[in-house]
Amino acid sequence: MLTRIANGRVVDPAHGRDAVGDIWFSDGLIISPPAAAVADETFDAAGRIVMAGAIDIHSHIAGYNVNVTRLLLPELHRGGAAAPARTPLSTAGWSTFSTGCRYAVMGFTTVVEPAVSPHHALHAHLELADIPIIDKATLAILGNDDFLLGLMRAGESTAIRDYVAWTLSASRALGVKVINAGAATAFKFNARKFSLDDVVPFYGVSSRQIVKTLQRAVCDLGVPHPLHVHCNNLGIAGNVDTALATIAAAEGLPLHLAHVQFYSYGTEGSHGFSSAAARLAEAVNATPCVTVDVGQVMFGQTVTNSADVMRQFNARRQARPRKSVIIDGDANGGGIVPYDYRADNFHNAVQWAVGLELFLLINDPSRVFFTTDHPNGAPFWTYPDILALLMSRELRAEWMTRLPAAAVELTTLPAIRREYSLRDIAMMTRAAPARLLGLSDRGHLGPGAVADVAVYAEQADRAKMFAAAALVFKNGELVVRDGEVLHYRFGRAFAVSPGHDRAIDRRMTDYYQRRYGVAADVFAVPDAAIGRPDPIERVPCAS
Amino acid sequence: MGGAWIDGRPVTVEAAVAEGARLLGASRLAVIAGLGTDVAGARAAVALAERIGGAVDHMHAGATLRDLDVLREAGMMLTTPNEAGLRGDLLLLVGAGLPAAWPDLPQRLIERTPGAELGSAFSRRVIRLCPGRSVREVAASGVSTRTVGRDPAELAGLLAALRARVAGRPVGAAAVPARQLDALADELRAARFGVAVWSAGELDALTIEMLCRLVEDLNAKTRFSGCPVPGADNAAGVLQACGWMTGYPIRTGFGRGFPEHDPWRYEALRLIESGEADCAVWISAYRAATPEWRRDVPMVALCAEGTAFGRPPRVQIAVGRPGVDHAGVEHLLATGTLSAVPAAAPSDAISVADAIARIAASLPGDRASPC
Repeated sequence: MLTRIANGRVVDPAHGRDAVGDIWFSDGLIISPPAAAVADETFDAAGRIVMAGAIDIHSHIAGYNVNVTRLLLPELHRGGAAAPARTPLSTAGWSTFSTGCRYAVMGFTTVVEPAVSPHHALHAHLELADIPIIDKATLAILGNDDFLLGLMRAGESTAIRDYVAWTLSASRALGVKVINAGAATAFKFNARKFSLDDVVPFYGVSSRQIVKTLQRAVCDLGVPHPLHVHCNNLGIAGNVDTALATIAAAEGLPLHLAHVQFYSYGTEGSHGFSSAAARLAEAVNATPCVTVDVGQVMFGQTVTNSADVMRQFNARRQARPRKSVIIDGDANGGGIVPYDYRADNFHNAVQWAVGLELFLLINDPSRVFFTTDHPNGAPFWTYPDILALLMSRELRAEWMTRLPAAAVELTTLPAIRREYSLRDIAMMTRAAPARLLGLSDRGHLGPGAVADVAVYAEQADRAKMFAAAALVFKNGELVVRDGEVLHYRFGRAFAVSPGHDRAIDRRMTDYYQRRYGVAADVFAVPDAAIGRPDPIERVPCAS
Repeated sequence: MGGAWIDGRPVTVEAAVAEGARLLGASRLAVIAGLGTDVAGARAAVALAERIGGAVDHMHAGATLRDLDVLREAGMMLTTPNEAGLRGDLLLLVGAGLPAAWPDLPQRLIERTPGAELGSAFSRRVIRLCPGRSVREVAASGVSTRTVGRDPAELAGLLAALRARVAGRPVGAAAVPARQLDALADELRAARFGVAVWSAGELDALTIEMLCRLVEDLNAKTRFSGCPVPGADNAAGVLQACGWMTGYPIRTGFGRGFPEHDPWRYEALRLIESGEADCAVWISAYRAATPEWRRDVPMVALCAEGTAFGRPPRVQIAVGRPGVDHAGVEHLLATGTLSAVPAAAPSDAISVADAIARIAASLPGDRASPC
């Protein structure tokens, strides 16, 4: 079927396009406008903005830790409306079904679950399979596992590369995540803090060495997505030094730092807590091999869900409501700590401002990525409000009047005049994330791209505009109209399977028998177990 | 192999499916109970309940929800059976229910080779708290084991006293002499990675909470965590599937078109005996289990080959066993997570998921299925 979206303002920075024009697609793919053809279906997009579907590179939406979050906090997600017949369970609060619907109505079509412990990979893929509409991916957590740390201790760098490849294949993941490298294991040995040059007991390797080792392996394997790093010392006053040291450790190879808002703190002022966002932004601007996502804080009740178990254990006394789950998992860990960010709280006000400073002070919209580290900074359904703040300094000024003045003064936000354009938004939320993930067929509207298209009604209230897309197409099929999901269709999960020496397979078999007393493949993720037809799409590695 | 019956008379599966759909379509409130099935069967059951405005309950929900109530009211520190076996130098086995809940515990946990990273000086001790008559059932060679307290009825008081002594607070008379209590408190504090292991089957929520608070208190100075052993019949796997699909655990109903969780309201036994539910779907694929209720309600039974009921259900379909007749995803103790189990002896026995899909396809009305 030939479809035409007519006369919309097409914002496609990947092709340098920001002009009124048409988008044509057929069989799920964007095509060049045909010479003399009549579309089977035409959608009038006059007065509307047309972009590729948005891509979220870091959002905790699926897996064991996410499910513990649901079960811990039933009081926070009570439903109240019956689901329409065409979209069962879409109103079930915090469910996989409502997650897909809520993303789709905002025009998001691809989302990455950034933290899956390899032993929980099947569970994560089962949950992803029950998220409608969107395509998805996972990142596999490495850096605390005995096998890797043992290889590092023994100096076996070739085997490390093969082991990383084996893990990515076995977990059906798109990339590698490292979280406070070594800390979850150190915590099991009763360490209570862990910095970049601290050393994991017994193995004698430092956090920095773990990050560098994994960075090198990911690069050598040709995995498109850079090593995705959750740094040490999250949330601690003065931790900008940790972030700066980690950025410096990139040493010219690609490195992605996650939710850097949580690492942009200084120690000034009467609370000993201030914004150091300007310093972090400067370092990012000066280091082209580094990308970051922000992890914006927004006010309201949420829950922090992180595999940084040491951090979550230390933070549990700030839980609101006062309960938490702390997990010493296989190799990795987890911590679920509910939290309520309040506009009248000094620290929270600084955090809110810091995130916006980072967006606005990092110059290149293709190297700063749009996240709240859902749900850690805020739920993802706050995205429209954040976009509105980025696009209007007047709106930011109005928000700041409601915050403690002493907090705002410890940031540079009041002085920042920059406003994001639609082109900046499209670059940051479409073109750049597609490239960062190695997904060449999306994030843009050129011929050959997948027909994931979001159409918004142009309006001055940008929050309202981005909250409910006028139309969303997924693989060329209309799935959202006027902010409502019309019906379900199910996407696929992207995964890499880098080439490697198969000797590692035998080695892992032996290792699992010795350490776990089970076959290694008992943690496997077979297609047939995932519960949807053709659930995985393979993304090539650069060889 | 296989089979289907209506009122005890052999029929085709097609006829049984049609009659099952008719019964569910005609019911006011149906409860899907038992739920002894793999993840695919659990997903199908939740989807079915949503479609017909029914409720879901699992045969071991009582125990599952005792652990979950402690978690969601007070919080919890958790570790996996693997981590407990690899690094647990003090294993605190609590109550009388563990041998039944985890028959392999001696081999998989106590006798497990610790990780090399723990060093050659590692030594493991096992302490059994109030094991009741099950004390003889946990036999493990070469690992120092002792028992503190005997009668499980004393457990709540003993844990409270122990928690107080760990924190240095005074206690009155306890189930064990003060000196033994203090020695135990010292031993817990001296553990480097202690693990409390329990089964909620025969423990009440307050006892579990006291144990979990004790575990948390110990983390002020050392490392300690908890390992609750889940119930049988894939209770943990069904809990996970229900959780991600609805946001809630089992004992959830869809009468108003959206999921509502209420452990009292949506207990299958109570719904049936009170007359609130007028139809039941009983699912037990792992073994020949039958419901606890006595009231005669129209029942669609999807159950293991050879299950015999006192009164024949209106509809009965013999289903395959996950991991035997067909592959299935379940929560395994050996992995501590959801795992794909291949079919050990594949057959053409219908699975719970397939049976429910066929029933749902025969229901009146047109409603999309989420799975």
